Amino acid sequence: MAISLLYYAQEFLRGEWVKKFLAAKTAPLQIPTYFRNYPELTGKTCTHQLYCMMACPAPGAIDVVMTPDGWMPRIHVGHCIRCGLCVEACPNGVLTSGRILESMFYDNTKLSFSFRIDVDTDKCMGCGNCAVACPVNKLIDAQMSHGGRASTDELLLKVSEGKCQVLHVEKCTGCKTCEHHCPNEAIRVARLLEAVHAPEEEL
Amino acid sequence: MTLLQSLKNFVRSKSIHVAYVDVGSCNGCDVEVLACLAPRYDIEQYGIFVHNNPREADVLLVIGAYTPGWEGKLEGLWEKIPDPKVAVAIGNCPISGCLFNRPHTLVDPPVSKHIPIAAQVPGCPPRPTEILSAILSVAPLVYRDYEVRK
Repeated sequence: MAISLLYYAQEFLRGEWVKKFLAAKTAPLQIPTYFRNYPELTGKTCTHQLYCMMACPAPGAIDVVMTPDGWMPRIHVGHCIRCGLCVEACPNGVLTSGRILESMFYDNTKLSFSFRIDVDTDKCMGCGNCAVACPVNKLIDAQMSHGGRASTDELLLKVSEGKCQVLHVEKCTGCKTCEHHCPNEAIRVARLLEAVHAPEEEL
Repeated sequence: MTLLQSLKNFVRSKSIHVAYVDVGSCNGCDVEVLACLAPRYDIEQYGIFVHNNPREADVLLVIGAYTPGWEGKLEGLWEKIPDPKVAVAIGNCPISGCLFNRPHTLVDPPVSKHIPIAAQVPGCPPRPTEILSAILSVAPLVYRDYEVRK
């Protein structure tokens, strides 16, 4: 009994043990390097294609601004949800976050964009604001008259028989200018994001 | 500074009582706050206690994008917390409304319109490490020399 007590006293009265017992702390946890944090710039040149802004699901999380060094994407902390879609969408690899770029390289994946335009014919009153405002239409037919009437059928949007008609949806760049200019909220642009595996083999 | 005051500062920095309130979030940030309570992060070693009772809280964690049902209630809850007190916004929702802040929605962010927010932890959701470091850095600053400043 006495020997046993002595043994315990000897064991637990060591200064080293007492100090460890009273002041033990687990090491502060570090954020691992592979964590998909806020996107950072890689230093590559941004060409202002705005795919990051189209892919971003959070309102106001990313915009592309003109700086003295050229166009630069800017992440707004407090809006960004760290999903990494802007990193995947960028065709130039301007942004990086975690292991997204590496895994895209090894898995040979990329995001492809397509757009769908829905016109609510009950709401559309055929004013032609969308067709006149559309920057794609502007390139094809700069002479387009007010009201959205035009002679050519190569346009993206055109007004015929008093309603807006979508002629070539594949020409849409997803800028949503038509949506902003519609007085009646009749036109809606849906951006469809598709993850494509092995894009070279498909094409 | 008197000895008593420095003793108070020390004790307060080792005893942070936390309450959290969810004013309409998607529960993602709640899960991350819950993860802070787990042994992996071991908040008791820093002296953080979660009572979830505003009457004995020092730090209020506000989570969510402020839905209309909280109108008036969050302010009442803030009044119940005894001084010195501090509110920390957890996640994107109390800062900006994040994904929920779209046209034709009813949420009313930011929460700083309704109660004073001392610190913000952005992220959707933030990591438990970020939440912990925010609480640990803001709480001692708010309580330091509280009586003397007053």
